[in-house]
Amino acid sequence: MSEKEIAEKIKAMLVENLRIPEDALENDSELFGDDIGLDSIDSIEIIAGIDALFGVQMTGVAKEHFQSINTLTAYVREHMEG
Amino acid sequence: MSDKNRCVVTGLGLICALGDNVEECWENAVNGISGIRDVTVINTDGCYAKKGAVNDTPDGDLSEENYDRSSLLCIKAAGEALKDAKISPESESGIGVIIGNCVGGAASIDSYYRAVKERGEENVSKEEILKMPASAIANNVSVHYGLKGVTANIVNACAAGTISLSYACDLIRSGEAEVFLAGGSDAFTSLAFAGFHALHALDERPCSPFNRSSGITLGEGAGMLVIESYEHAVQRGARIYCEILGSGVSSDAHHITAPRPDGQGQMSAIRRAVADSGLKPQDIDYINAHGTGTAKNDEAEFLSLHTLFDCSDKLSVSSTKSMTGHCLGAAGSIEAVFTVKALENGIIPPTAGYTVEEKAALEEKAGKIDFVPNESRRKELSYAMSNSFAFGGNNASIIFSREHREIPARESDSPVYITGLGIVSSAADGSDSVKASLTAEDYKTHDIKMAFYRKLDRFSQLQLVSGVRALADAGFKADETNENDIGIIIGTSDGPMTEIVNFQKNVIDHGTNGGSAFSFPNTVYNAAGGYFSIFAGIKGYNVTVANGAQSGLQSVCYAHSVIRSKEESVMVAAGTDENTDVTEYLYGRYGVRTADLPYSEGKGFVLGEGSVSVVLESEEYANKHNSPKYAQIVSWGMAHSPKEYSDQRVDGDTLKKAIGDACKRAGLFLEQISFISGFGCGIKEIDQGELEVYRELFGVNKPLLSVKAATGDARAASASMALAQAAKVLHGDGDIVGKWYQITENGARESEAAEGEYALAVSCGAGGSCSAVIIKRV
Repeated sequence: MSEKEIAEKIKAMLVENLRIPEDALENDSELFGDDIGLDSIDSIEIIAGIDALFGVQMTGVAKEHFQSINTLTAYVREHMEG
Repeated sequence: MSDKNRCVVTGLGLICALGDNVEECWENAVNGISGIRDVTVINTDGCYAKKGAVNDTPDGDLSEENYDRSSLLCIKAAGEALKDAKISPESESGIGVIIGNCVGGAASIDSYYRAVKERGEENVSKEEILKMPASAIANNVSVHYGLKGVTANIVNACAAGTISLSYACDLIRSGEAEVFLAGGSDAFTSLAFAGFHALHALDERPCSPFNRSSGITLGEGAGMLVIESYEHAVQRGARIYCEILGSGVSSDAHHITAPRPDGQGQMSAIRRAVADSGLKPQDIDYINAHGTGTAKNDEAEFLSLHTLFDCSDKLSVSSTKSMTGHCLGAAGSIEAVFTVKALENGIIPPTAGYTVEEKAALEEKAGKIDFVPNESRRKELSYAMSNSFAFGGNNASIIFSREHREIPARESDSPVYITGLGIVSSAADGSDSVKASLTAEDYKTHDIKMAFYRKLDRFSQLQLVSGVRALADAGFKADETNENDIGIIIGTSDGPMTEIVNFQKNVIDHGTNGGSAFSFPNTVYNAAGGYFSIFAGIKGYNVTVANGAQSGLQSVCYAHSVIRSKEESVMVAAGTDENTDVTEYLYGRYGVRTADLPYSEGKGFVLGEGSVSVVLESEEYANKHNSPKYAQIVSWGMAHSPKEYSDQRVDGDTLKKAIGDACKRAGLFLEQISFISGFGCGIKEIDQGELEVYRELFGVNKPLLSVKAATGDARAASASMALAQAAKVLHGDGDIVGKWYQITENGARESEAAEGEYALAVSCGAGGSCSAVIIKRV
C-alpha cells in the first residue's frame, strides 16, 4: 500500500469515526492541538481504527506518532506486515 | 410548620445480582457476599474483561408481558414494594410512577437488529420497535399495576435512580399525588458492556471501589421505593421506614464522561442536599457512596468526602457496588434501598473485596472516615445519604432520616416568566420526512468550535444550538456569579436513538470488543444536557425526562417546579427529538411516517425534528438583568392513563384532567383561555380525540394553533414549540410558526390568527401522559 493510500484511508477513518469535517482536515493538521482538538477518548478510537484498517497495534505508542495524519501514516507504513 | 412537606418511605422492592427480593439482597450485602461472576448473558469473546453482576431470573419469570428487560425488572421490584407497603393498586389507583433509567431498551435494540440481520426484516415483528425507547418503562409499570398517577422516566444515566426519588418527593410536596412508586431499573446489555469496554473502564477483576480502583463491574437490577406523604401514610396506618429530608442535583459542566477532578460538582450536590435537609455535614452518619471503582470517580469522590466531612468524627462510607456491580440507572435506587435498610437495622453494609494488605493501605489514607472494609458495621444511625454521579457530569445526593425533622420551607409564589426562546426546527414541505438545518454558520454565530460540536451526535447538536440561542435571546450568560442558579430540564421521546442503534449495529457486526469509544458517551439520553451544560457553563439542576412526545411540555412543568421550590432561579426547559435515517426507518417500519398533516384525518404524520429551548426565570432574576418577558407561566397540569405504548388514542379523561388541573391552579375559568396550542399530528384517532376534548371543554369556535402543520411532528420538540409559539402570540410577535384552526362540530377548519390574554399549550404522548401549561400575556 502506498503512503498516499494509507493517508487517505486514515483520513476517511477520522472523518467517519470522529466526525471531523473533511475540509478542515489536512495531512499535516495537528490532531490533538488547536486545529482539530482531539482528546484521550478520540485516541482510543484512532487506535481501534488503525488496528481494523491495517492490523497495526498502537496501544501504548508514544504521543508524537499521533500528531497528524502524516505521522500516523509513517508509523503504519513502518509497522505494517508485508 | 405543618406535616405537608414530609415525605416518608413505606415500601421497598429490590432485584439485582444479590437476590430476587429485599431480604435476600440485604442479607448477602451485610455479609459482604458479592454477586459478581463471569458474564454469560452476552458474548465476551475477545474482551479483556469478562465480569458482571447479573440476576439469573429469566424474563418470563419476572413478568408475563413482552416488554424490554428493564421494564420487567422494574415491574418485579415494584410489585414487592407495593406489597411491602401494603398498598393495593385497586384501591389506590392514583399512585404515580417515576423511574430512573440509563440504557433504555438497548437489549431489545440489540435483539431486533440481530434478528433482522439473521432472519430478515419480514420475520421480525414491528411491535419489537416499541421496546426500544426508555420512554416506555414507567408506563409499562403503570399498565401492569393499573396506576393512574403522573409518570416520568428520568434518564440521567448513573444518577437517574437518585433523581427519580428526589422528583417524586418534589411532586408529593407540590400536591401532585400522595403516593409514588419511585426508583430505577436497568438490564445488563451489550451496549453498556461494549461501551465501557471500549473506554477501557471495566475492571478485569471484580471492581474494588476506594481500593485498587481499576475500573467498574457492570450489574443489573431494579430498586423501587414507595414514597408517600406523611399524612397519607399515617392515615392508612402504614409502617414508616424513614423520611426523605432533602436532595441536591448539580452539574459539573466539565466533561462528558469524566468527573471534575476537584470534586466541585459532587460537593455542590452534597451541599445542596445537606442544606435542603436543614442539616450540617457532621450530622450525617452514613454515606452510601457512588464508589464505582474507576480511578477518576474514586479519587474525586474521596477528595469530596474528605473536604466536606473531615469535620466529622463519626462518618461511615461504603460502596455496595463492590457486591451489586454498577447497575447504572438502577444504581441510585438500589443503593437507596440499602441505605434505608441500614437506617432501619443500624447495620452498615461493607465495601467488599479488600485483602489484608489493601485493608492496611486503606487505613493509611482513610483519615477519620470509616470505609467499612469487608465486614458490615453495627451502628446507631440517624441520618444517611446516598450519592450518585453520572456521565454528562450530573450529580445527585439524597438524605434519609430515621426520625422526623423539620426541614426549611421551600415553596415560593413569585411569578415565573418566559424570557428567552431558542428554536431549531424542520419545516413541512409535502414529503413524509423533514430535517432541520444546522450549518457551520449556526455554530460560528455562537462561537461553538468544531473541536466541540463534532463530538456531538445529532440529538446533542440540536439541543446545544437551541439552548445557546435561548440563552442569547434571554440575554443570559452563565458566569461565576450565577452558574449555580441556573438549571436544565430536557424532554425527549426517543433520545439519541440514532447513536444507540449505530453503536449497537457496530457491536452486532464486530463483536462486543468492537464498541466505539467515540460514540458511546452519546448513547446516554442525558449526553445532550451534559454537552449543553459544559458549553454554557451551567452548574445547577440538570435532568432529562423521556416520556413520549409530551416530554417537551412536561419539561416545562418540571422546570417551573424547580424554580418554585427555590432550587434554581433560572431554568432552560427544552424538548428535543432528532430525525435521521434511523428514525425514518423505525417510524416508517412501524407505519406512521406518512405525509399527513394535522386534522386531515390521516394515518400517520410528517416525521420532523428539532429542539426548542425555553428560558424560565423568577421575577426577581428576570428584573435583575432586564430580560424581555414573552409571557408569564401561570400554572400547569400533568396527568396519566395506563395504556399500552402501542395504543395511540388520546384518553379524553386524562387530557381533561391535565387541562382542568392547570385551570384550577391558575384560578381560571375555561372561557378565559383565549386560544389553545395543540398537538394533533395527522393520525385521525389522535386528532379526533384531541378535538373532542376541546369541544367538550370549550365548545366550538375556540381558536387552535398547530405548530406541527408547519414543522412536521418533531415529537418532544413540537410539544415545547407549541408553548414557544403561544408565548410569541401573546407577546405580539409577527413571525408565528404554525397554522391557525377553529374547532368545528366535527373537526377543525383553517381560520384567522387569534390573540388574547391567556393561552393553553397542550400535549399528549405515547405511553399515556398528557401535560398542559397556561401562560399569560405580560
